[in-house]
Amino acid sequence: MSAQKKRTFKIEAFKHRVELDPKYAERTWKVLEHAIHEIYNHNASGLSFEELYRNAYNMVLHKYGEKLYSGLVTTMSGHLKEIAKSIEDSQGGLFLEELDRKWGDHNKALQMIRDILMYMDRTFVPGNHKTPVHELGLNLWRDNIIRSGKIQTRLLDTLLDLIHRERTGEVINRSLMRNITKMLMDLGSSVYQEDFEKPFLEVSASFYSGESQQLIECCDCGEYLRKAERRLTEETERVSHYLDVKSEVKITSVVEGEMIANHMQRLVHMENSGLVNMLVDDRYEDLSRMYNLFRRVPDGLSTVRDVMTSHLRETGKQLVSDPERLKDPVDFVQHLLDEKDKYDKIISKAFNNDKSFQNALNSSFEYFINLNNRSPEFISLYVDDKLRKGLKGVSEEDVEVVLDKVMMLFRYLQEKDVFEKYYKQHLAKRLLSGKTASDDAERSMIVKLKTECGYQFTSKLEGMFTDMKTSVDTMQGFYANQYSETGDGPTLAVQVLTTGSWPTQPSAPCNLPAEILGICDKFRTYYLGTHTGRRLTWQTNMGTADIKATFGKGQKHELNVSTYQMCILMLFNSADQLTYREIEQATEIPAPDLKRCLQSLACVKGKNVLRKEPMSKDIAEDDAFYFNDKFTSKFIKVKIGTVAAQKESEPEKQETRQRVEEDRKPQIEAAIVRIMKSRRVLDHNTIVTEVTSQLQSRFLPNPVVIKKRIESLIEREFLERDKNDRKLYRYLA
Amino acid sequence: METGEENTRKEETVKLISAEGFEFVIDKKAAMVSQTIRNMLTSPGGFAETQHGQVTFPEISTPILEKICQYFYWSLEYSSGKETEFHIEPEITLELMMAANYLHT
Repeated sequence: MSAQKKRTFKIEAFKHRVELDPKYAERTWKVLEHAIHEIYNHNASGLSFEELYRNAYNMVLHKYGEKLYSGLVTTMSGHLKEIAKSIEDSQGGLFLEELDRKWGDHNKALQMIRDILMYMDRTFVPGNHKTPVHELGLNLWRDNIIRSGKIQTRLLDTLLDLIHRERTGEVINRSLMRNITKMLMDLGSSVYQEDFEKPFLEVSASFYSGESQQLIECCDCGEYLRKAERRLTEETERVSHYLDVKSEVKITSVVEGEMIANHMQRLVHMENSGLVNMLVDDRYEDLSRMYNLFRRVPDGLSTVRDVMTSHLRETGKQLVSDPERLKDPVDFVQHLLDEKDKYDKIISKAFNNDKSFQNALNSSFEYFINLNNRSPEFISLYVDDKLRKGLKGVSEEDVEVVLDKVMMLFRYLQEKDVFEKYYKQHLAKRLLSGKTASDDAERSMIVKLKTECGYQFTSKLEGMFTDMKTSVDTMQGFYANQYSETGDGPTLAVQVLTTGSWPTQPSAPCNLPAEILGICDKFRTYYLGTHTGRRLTWQTNMGTADIKATFGKGQKHELNVSTYQMCILMLFNSADQLTYREIEQATEIPAPDLKRCLQSLACVKGKNVLRKEPMSKDIAEDDAFYFNDKFTSKFIKVKIGTVAAQKESEPEKQETRQRVEEDRKPQIEAAIVRIMKSRRVLDHNTIVTEVTSQLQSRFLPNPVVIKKRIESLIEREFLERDKNDRKLYRYLA
Repeated sequence: METGEENTRKEETVKLISAEGFEFVIDKKAAMVSQTIRNMLTSPGGFAETQHGQVTFPEISTPILEKICQYFYWSLEYSSGKETEFHIEPEITLELMMAANYLHT
């Protein structure tokens, strides 16, 4: 009797047992028909399940299955037609309720009928390819009720009207709605879709199309987006309350299309409230909303991103080309950093840290920073400013933060070698004048540059640090050796700089005062005594000196001056008045430097230890200078005309530029040779591309320059042109 | 398992009555092994069987119904478990088969 056994024994109908009374079938069917009526009339409680089941069982067993089945269809259809009538007759608002109640009744009846006809469902239905009872009941309901002429349109209109009313703020009976839509879903997804969902989506589209037209005329962008967002949540909520979950995607995409996609451009560019205004005013909430809404529609984010990028480029371009800003490099870089911070914050707070937005931000910065070819210099000046004074009293972490931000700007630079040049100059000045605020910060910056650009980039910078350290040791050795002889003479502090590591400018040596020369010679003897085979030259343009001076009323001041200035002042030990030419002759300081020194000694208020005739702002070649007896200052120490790092003048800039170009030549050549060595034969364009890609971490080589370098290499027989194809180059080993 | 056991609570038992009028009171759980009986007891709308907790089988004789009841309990215990034999006397096989078809067991 187990499942196994049932399959092995095929049970035939027991024709021999029960006599085939032709009236038997009719009689049995009457019993069942009566039962079905009773069930629909809520009168089933007296019926015996066993009896009904047995009757149906016997009918099927005795080949009256067809009669039973068609009888069921007829009886049920009849009942459903009555039901349809009573639903049609229901008064306005009660229509849905009546429909819902009848649906409930029908479902219950259907379940009972299916149960008593279970044997038919089990054997007759599959054997004769009929629709199972339950499904049959649903189909009959669909055809007799839902799609009956009078009910179909009324039902749809009622549902759509209720939804419209809910959209306009009325409260509707959601659970009734839920029952009705669930009924449509139960009747099959095609019924739900055809009879409800499709028209629902169409009506929704026209509703939101109208609403969005209206809103866009009277709302600003932020408000519009807020309303659109609310509508979207409402629709999602509606789905969760009484629609099929599958409808969510469809209805939200209708809202997105009508309210967002159709008005994207207008929203983004809305005057006084569009995207640009949001960015300018840091309206994170609105921006975030815009991001989340636009993300839903095709091309939405790219629209936002494009507008942001063009705005960034526009403002960035203004920033880097504003002549006012260019006056103060530190302020200039600070502005760049602030701008970057601002947008970083926007992207992290409102744009979900979207990678594509970060990329857009980076590319925009790269674009406009390199528009101004002074950016590398300014960034280095900014670091210089920070490392000189800006970082005093700031914690180590904050220093790191500032430096990291600078590195970020550095990364945008295309001409990193120009930055290196300036950085070297500025670092040299800091080191030599002892102005570095923190050794750790300096080193940390070097490490960052090293990680970013490699060992080669910073080896010289590190060399400078080594020189500084060695110099301290050297000076200790020198004074230990010369201890007895120092006496009252001037104290010398020498920094021995390795040629090549430092940005030394070829300087005409000036004439040092005799007192200094003496000790300088002693140092030279000492140094060369310990380090044979080296050469020492004095870089008088880079030194500083502290001198004590006594003025008219006997007041003493300690003057902190450059080596050049010291030379000039020392002349006044033996004379009260000197002309410009006399000074020039005596010191042999190059004219532009001399003028600058004299200007800072004579023309700066509060620091005018010299007096000039005639009194004017500029130094002329026939001016005369006097020792200023009447000089007063409330400070004991007076710092005069520091040669602080400042923005380069135009000719200096040209000069640096030229030196950078000069330095690039060997690098480009090296790259060409490296490439050709491995590739042997290559055409011109490929070489240019490869060289560019190899060098772009340092600078963007100019194709014309690359061409010149190739020609030079051909001249020097590293390369040759192919004899047949003039565009090909060969490497000559 | 046979007649009696009046103290068993009514909600958890069901009374099966054979053609000859013998009553078998068994656990509802056991009776539900039969899909047909399960429907009789659970169908909505309150058929007589559901209300009274008893089912009459005018076409099933006492010995067959007894065997069926035995099978219900055997099935509950073993059907999903290890292999054991449910012994069926050859002479009642046919009748039992018919009843099984009727009861959808």
